[in-house]
Amino acid sequence: MTRSAHLAGIGSFLPSCRVPNAQLAARMDTSDEWIRTRTGIRQRYFAEPGTTTSDLAAEAGARAMKSAGLAEVGAVVLATTTPDRPCPATAPVVAAKLGLAGCPAFDVQAVCTGFVYALATACGLLAMGCVDTVLVIGAETFSTILNPADRATSVIFGDGAGAMVLRSGHTAGNGAVGPFDLGSDGTGRDLITVRAGGAEQRRSGLAPAPGDEYFSMAGREVFRQAVEHMAQSARAVLGHVGWQAGDVDWLACHQANLRILVRLADVLGIPEARVLANIAEVGNTSAASIPLAIDQAYQAGRFKAGDRLLLSAFGGGLTWGSTVLTWPDLTHP
Amino acid sequence: MSDLTYETLVALLVEKFEVLPELIRPGVTFADLEVDSLFLVELLLVVEREVQAAIPDDAINAQDTLERAVDIVREHVATAGTR
Repeated sequence: MTRSAHLAGIGSFLPSCRVPNAQLAARMDTSDEWIRTRTGIRQRYFAEPGTTTSDLAAEAGARAMKSAGLAEVGAVVLATTTPDRPCPATAPVVAAKLGLAGCPAFDVQAVCTGFVYALATACGLLAMGCVDTVLVIGAETFSTILNPADRATSVIFGDGAGAMVLRSGHTAGNGAVGPFDLGSDGTGRDLITVRAGGAEQRRSGLAPAPGDEYFSMAGREVFRQAVEHMAQSARAVLGHVGWQAGDVDWLACHQANLRILVRLADVLGIPEARVLANIAEVGNTSAASIPLAIDQAYQAGRFKAGDRLLLSAFGGGLTWGSTVLTWPDLTHP
Repeated sequence: MSDLTYETLVALLVEKFEVLPELIRPGVTFADLEVDSLFLVELLLVVEREVQAAIPDDAINAQDTLERAVDIVREHVATAGTR
């Protein structure tokens, strides 16, 4: 490929309402210890009333554009499970909020794998020469689909947004993104789902069953499939790029559960010290989790130019995907 | 494929899952070790790598002793080997 995609800027945003475990334990049958030992999560952030996915996405996007030193981008690709409305897509609203009049903008829906899918889509736009820059955002207000009666999911997810600006380039080297490994298995759609609200339930002629309007997840089965698929996908992408596990400086995975991250690192043979983990502070933010974790690590000064990052995610669909990124020398903080 | 031994299972429990060696004695069950519901899923992922064979999620439950778990894994390895 003569044209490749390079990381030019990064940013993230968390809503203001911090929710520690104790606050959830006060209103449902759970405890700080139960949540911490099973998930590694200590707190998460929920968007305040009136704040939607497009608000979080626009703020993270603005920060990424500032980091790239750009006032405009050629396209906006938004990964989200929690769009402002079922129709239309949320990305055009985000583009409008960013003052990007006329800019092509669309959503990508691959649940927790969404950001990796959106990155791949953006790389395609750049490789085809459609545009020269793409703002890729992962943003969620997952709190809007959580079932307050389901302690298993209510304690895991949080709201937030992360974004990257990709720029086309003609060489590999620092900043280069890709290749990719992507996959899906629709026979597993019931494992991670919101059953009601789509054509299937509406066309059934039946009212939604209680709780079906909320997100649900089969935790144990998902745990196992997440580790297996991310490991397989990560190995595939390492094979494509010609890296060994020992070449990876940072494992930047979807922040699903701390125990999944630990198990995945073990399976891949990557030391835990090289695993980016911010799930304790922000919970599982679905499509936002990878850019959010990478941006927080960048802001904390953990990367140097040339560091090799392995990105991998697993989510509803089922979907999974992995890619690699060589950290650039970002000049606009 | 390779077999799982009791000694290997104990080593995995102690080294990968930080189970205290003094808790491990003949007849001890996973429930006795006070592990939670996700633990058996994690353990099976590790054991599958060890024996290079697929083992279903529900093959082992918390009431099984470590000796019984070794037997169950061996049965799955043997079945997979004769397929």
